Amino acid sequence: MAKFSTLLASTYHKIGFKRLFWRVFIWFWLSSLLVMFATSFVIISKYSSEDYTKRYSNDVLTQAERIVWRYEQTLIPHANRSIKLKNWINKKENRRGHLMSMLIMDDTNQRIYHYRFNKVKPEDRLEYSVLGPSGRSYLVFSKKPQAPRIYTQLMYRFQSLQFVFIFFASALVSALLSWSITRPLNYLGSFSRHYANKQEVAPLPRALLTRGDEVADLAQDIEFMINKTHAAATAQQQLLHDVSHELRAPLARLQVSAALIEQKSPDSRHVKQIHNDCLRIDQLIQQILDYSKLEQGNPAQEPCSINALCEQVIKNMAVTYPNIPVTFKADNKAQLNGYPEALLQAFDNIIGNACKYSSDGQSVDISVHNRENSIVVSVRDHGPGVDESEMAKLLQPFYRAGNKMHTNGFGLGLSIALKAINKHQGELRMSTPDGGGLLVEIILPQDTLA
Amino acid sequence: MKNEKYKILLVDDDETLCSLLSEFLQEEGFEVETLHSGNAATERLLQSDEFDTVVLDIMMPGMSGLDVLRSVRAKRQVPILMLTGRGDDIDRIVGLEMGADDYLGKPCNPRELSARIKAIIRRTENSLGNGAAGKTIVHALLHGIELDTGTRTAVVNNTTLPLTSAEFNALSLLMERAGQTITKQDMTQEVLNRPLEAYDRAMDVHISRIRQKLSSQGINDVIKSIRGVGYQMLTEQQPTQSDD
Repeated sequence: MAKFSTLLASTYHKIGFKRLFWRVFIWFWLSSLLVMFATSFVIISKYSSEDYTKRYSNDVLTQAERIVWRYEQTLIPHANRSIKLKNWINKKENRRGHLMSMLIMDDTNQRIYHYRFNKVKPEDRLEYSVLGPSGRSYLVFSKKPQAPRIYTQLMYRFQSLQFVFIFFASALVSALLSWSITRPLNYLGSFSRHYANKQEVAPLPRALLTRGDEVADLAQDIEFMINKTHAAATAQQQLLHDVSHELRAPLARLQVSAALIEQKSPDSRHVKQIHNDCLRIDQLIQQILDYSKLEQGNPAQEPCSINALCEQVIKNMAVTYPNIPVTFKADNKAQLNGYPEALLQAFDNIIGNACKYSSDGQSVDISVHNRENSIVVSVRDHGPGVDESEMAKLLQPFYRAGNKMHTNGFGLGLSIALKAINKHQGELRMSTPDGGGLLVEIILPQDTLA
Repeated sequence: MKNEKYKILLVDDDETLCSLLSEFLQEEGFEVETLHSGNAATERLLQSDEFDTVVLDIMMPGMSGLDVLRSVRAKRQVPILMLTGRGDDIDRIVGLEMGADDYLGKPCNPRELSARIKAIIRRTENSLGNGAAGKTIVHALLHGIELDTGTRTAVVNNTTLPLTSAEFNALSLLMERAGQTITKQDMTQEVLNRPLEAYDRAMDVHISRIRQKLSSQGINDVIKSIRGVGYQMLTEQQPTQSDD
């Protein structure tokens, strides 16, 4: 079920209405509509232009004159005169639909011809007079030329083949256009993500950098940014590394000097203090190095057995904390591809914390089990536990529970663990289990990492 | 312990540290000579046999501690203690595999260093048969391995195995208690004269080196790893099996 909803979400993300394709499509459509609109508008304005009116009047007069001539030259019985004339005109014009609506009356106000003129309102009429061959004058009424309504024009276009063609063409063009834009963008996106996850700089393909368009500019900027970032990160690593090594040399000398003083005055409190602080500085340097080492891109992932890693940590805990009983439930299928050293550090810090905050005889329970596509390592202690409000803060570097300066620890252990877990796209959860203490769960995805 | 002073060669590129350490170790009763480069140390060790222990820093410009170890080990059996940057696990393991006797993280409390040096010397002392308080000389024969704790040699097929002193001690301990499982803690204490530390792989590396050397003489699968506990030398009645 959860799978389905994520699939749905990702599908929506790929083809949702915010994607570029739809924007291109919609713009395309808007412009098509505008063109249609404009065309209709032009046609309409043509209808209402003077030029058109003149031509129209000419047409009316020509037709009226013909009718009048015909009327005068052939005697048509009055009863179906109009129809006869109509048929004749039709033949003459040789195509239907060219009959214009008009009404012709002779000088005695007799209707001699009318065509579709009953419904024309008086204000929409034009009036001309025509002379027949006999010299008699006739009155001719016609409709004012009328532009077809805009929507009929539009509807007419919409129902045409043109519309279907435009629809398909625009969909195709939008797809091609958005694909040609999004493909390099997607590539750049995955390129950036790859760097963010792996900290490895790979060169961008030349084709992308030399396209000469804005995408190429973007690609160059991204490459520049990644190189800059990488240089900065490398410099920072180097600095941390150098500083910690540089600190170690004077620290080693300091320890020997302290030991020399100790030989002269064996029970000096101050020398003991110096030794303790040297040890502390040394541990801090070590942790900072561990922390920064995790930032470096790892060359390759190896198959890791989570059970074996946990067992290794537990074995060492037995040496450091001999009075804390540790239980372990293994899961034989707990294998993944990752960075064993980083994982070992994470487990060591988390299990080490559990042992550190337990009193003698309080057990630490560790279990590994497979869930769908992930491995969960749970570490549960029966110690004093942690306040809900403090849990998130514990993961910040140099934060300690209660924000007290403990005599042991620097507040880096969990940050290192979290970093190692993030390196595997995993998550770390803390909670208070029934019966007190602290439960830490490490969830590691099992599929190959992005 | 013998009456004359033990002689230590201290090799580190930090000259100030060397002079401070030698002052400290002299106060502890050792005679100390210091050198500051890998080349000088190699030269000195190859031409002389006077040192009881070498303290060798891994991180040195030019010829590193590992290079020194490699060129010296080929010709000399002098006990070597490596100083490694703390946490450089790889270096420690590699150093041990190349025949270092033990390692110590740096920086360290000099008293710890002095204790380690004494542990190594005591081991060598026992090996030389003088001062092995109450230790009888054992001649053991098992799986075709002939062990003599008097001459500190292990002979297989008339070939003497080139064992370091730590390796010899480990092998003799395993043979003495064949059929029993010896915990890693006990082995570390007995063989290296020091307690087991967290993430301490020294013993594992020594054992794997012994296995390699036995295997080169065609003896396989006689030392068994007991997962989570320690090691055991099989008796000749037990079926050999490889489980690691």
